[in-house]
Amino acid sequence: MLLHPCVKRLPALGAVLLASCGGGTSPTPVAASIQVGHALAAEQTLTRGLDAMPRSLDPTLVTDTDGQKVTDDLFEGLTAIGPDDNVVPGVASSWEVSADGRTWVFHLRPEARWSNGEPVLAGDFVYAWRREVDPKTGAENAQALSPILNASAIATGQAPVDSLGVTAVDDHTLRVTLVSPTPYLLAVLADSYLQPLPRATVERYGDSWSRPEHMVSNGPYVLGELIVGDRITLTRNPRYWGAATVRVSRVTYYPLNRNAQVSRFMAGDVEFTSIFPSSQIHWLRSQLGNQVVTGTYLGVQMFGFNMVAPPFAHNRNLRLALTMAVDRRIIADKITQGVSKPAYCVVPPLPGYTPQLPQWASWSDDRRHAEARRLYAAAGYSAAHPLHVQLDYPSDEDNRDLLTAIAAMWRINLGAQVEPYDEEFRVLLQDLRLQKATLFWASWIGDYPDPFTFLQLGQKDYAQNFGLINDPRFESLLAAAGNEPDNARRYRYLEQAEDRLNEEAYFVPLVYYATRHLVKPYIQGWRPNLQDRMATRYLQVLEHRGR
Amino acid sequence: MLRFLLNRLLTAIPTLLIIATLAFALLHATPGGPFDSAKRMPPAIQASIEARYHLDEPLWRQYARYLGDLAHGDLGPSFQYRDTSVNSLIRQGLPVDATIGVCALLLALLAGGASGILAALHRNGARDHALMFVASLGISLPTFVIGPLLILVFAVQLHWLPSGDWVAGSIGHLILPVVALALPYTAYIARMVRGAAIEVFASPFIRTARAKGLPRHTVILRHALRPILTPLVSFLGPAFAGVLTGSIVIESVFGLPGIGRYFVTGAVNRDYTLVVGITILYGVLIIAFNLLADLCYAWLDPRVRLHS
Repeated sequence: MLLHPCVKRLPALGAVLLASCGGGTSPTPVAASIQVGHALAAEQTLTRGLDAMPRSLDPTLVTDTDGQKVTDDLFEGLTAIGPDDNVVPGVASSWEVSADGRTWVFHLRPEARWSNGEPVLAGDFVYAWRREVDPKTGAENAQALSPILNASAIATGQAPVDSLGVTAVDDHTLRVTLVSPTPYLLAVLADSYLQPLPRATVERYGDSWSRPEHMVSNGPYVLGELIVGDRITLTRNPRYWGAATVRVSRVTYYPLNRNAQVSRFMAGDVEFTSIFPSSQIHWLRSQLGNQVVTGTYLGVQMFGFNMVAPPFAHNRNLRLALTMAVDRRIIADKITQGVSKPAYCVVPPLPGYTPQLPQWASWSDDRRHAEARRLYAAAGYSAAHPLHVQLDYPSDEDNRDLLTAIAAMWRINLGAQVEPYDEEFRVLLQDLRLQKATLFWASWIGDYPDPFTFLQLGQKDYAQNFGLINDPRFESLLAAAGNEPDNARRYRYLEQAEDRLNEEAYFVPLVYYATRHLVKPYIQGWRPNLQDRMATRYLQVLEHRGR
Repeated sequence: MLRFLLNRLLTAIPTLLIIATLAFALLHATPGGPFDSAKRMPPAIQASIEARYHLDEPLWRQYARYLGDLAHGDLGPSFQYRDTSVNSLIRQGLPVDATIGVCALLLALLAGGASGILAALHRNGARDHALMFVASLGISLPTFVIGPLLILVFAVQLHWLPSGDWVAGSIGHLILPVVALALPYTAYIARMVRGAAIEVFASPFIRTARAKGLPRHTVILRHALRPILTPLVSFLGPAFAGVLTGSIVIESVFGLPGIGRYFVTGAVNRDYTLVVGITILYGVLIIAFNLLADLCYAWLDPRVRLHS
């Protein structure tokens, strides 16, 4: 998804104060005050931070990463994401796939129960998936089901809802028919929009079924309390089939801005933050030591071009000049303080996939700058006639430094006059929809751990192809990958497709996103992972003193 | 008196209507809609969502529909939280703001009133200068500085009080936000009371009271207090509306579920109904408290007559 810069953060100065005062008044790191034992704590409760209040906890309607985190605890799909970001069986205990990779049969575990004691049946999945693609529901995520047969046609109102490629063969057997082989299907099945729904409850209460007083769920936790803007409390679901392995009995999520998450963490009131401001990393490390945990995130910060209007349409030289003139190492080291890795291509490192670095990625800075200047001149620009363009990006304190630095690199390395223009996220989205942006923020968090979720951004008919890229060679490579049931061979097509993106410089990749958490030393069972998923069911609290 | 009340209530209606109209028009004119999503939707789904919230209708009809619902006290569904109505969000948030607001004002009145009178009694003395220096500091330090400072000292370093969150009935959770919110008001009241007290202490009736040989505390409490407090009343009405509407920063710093925070996230997410609803509520509160202040003023100072 296009990364939301999160809700506008009011107390920016507060953090600065906290940073400076904290450093001055407390010479001993706060971390030193926590002593951790080896045994499990008697009280297994946990407090976690969220970037913002989820807009909904109805799995069909969840669109934000915050909602996904909470529904990961409340519901369980056919599969689930394990502690190491790996796919593990969920409601489905086993599955088979046909030789052509287009038909999957899932066997549901008979012991799976809803929190009201009813069994989880294949029909609950059929109901949920049909509801997701039914235009009447108005689900923003409906497009995500497009690998399933007829999903796109139903979502656009061209086919009846019951033609969706999912059938309950019997109560515990589900058959899924796909448009083309989709090797990443198992990872997607863990996502909220493919989780089952308690049909009777949804039909009885309508939109308010997801309120705590009505919600019935099938995951490790049930919804106890929800106060908009304050907290969401979940308690262990004793009817969950794997309840015996769930340690934490109560988890409370607090939607808080980054600075508030830091102060709550330092006060011991939040034990696991969803993020912290990147500008505070040095100070936090000095105060909290190894409670600061960072890792690579499945996302890339980049810019896109409007490919149907001047100056970037039919101007490969100019696009290439801009992307080559960016000094990514400086951004990674100085702006992100070493937390993020430089990105020369759009797909972040994924197991089995070889990221396609452009040749110039390994050149010296001087050589790269010289070539960029040559291309800039070849595109018809010079000191007397520089490029003037506005760069639209969403307001966010972390973005501002980045944008300022890049505009300076373009000015110094090329002489281009690029003016960063800070907009509210929703205004930027509208500008993109109306194609009013020429050069724009196009950062992306992958929806599943597969190169396709990034490469799709350049696909002709994909709704999120904001720059309207239309490259027949790229299309044919994606099509070939789509029809290839063997994933290793499919990856080779995708690598060629990415190569093509680099060759044409359709994007300006900058750095890969990083996950940034503050985690108390007594919380076990978790390590940073690419998708930044960390279901509470895998966590446990060790004995500890201090906070 | 009754005519005055009636008149003020009747003029409130067009005022509120203007507020509602302006808020509605401005919000709809803001670029970016509530359903401009990072995931672009197929037209059929976009249309279905718009139809659900009547966004497919012409603006005048949406407005008429909104006013119709408003007349019944229904502020509509929230656009960003699909399973929640604006009414229920306000029902949830207003008690939080009211609790913090009332406590903060009471604290401000007690602390500010006492230090103002104390400063006046020791006019131009060391205590006066010290108190007024603190008051100037209280007025000039914004709450987004005071809030995090309080958290830093009392929650992070000393671990005496929670750093935020809202737990109904828990006094510990109230203290820091109430103090942070009360500080500028305390300072303001202290300065106001000091000025009024100096004036009152110098007036002939106080001299008479003292001449009768009354003890100092009787003079202050029985004779001076009422005229000292009179100018405060006109300040308290708007101030109460101010603490209710102005606690947005406090709510953000302490992560409290008040309507101010809903207002900000609502504006960012283009939650039309939520923002218009809260704007109207703020309008109602400000009108109501101004009226209340006028009534109290007349009661406290018999020279004031209410005219319609």
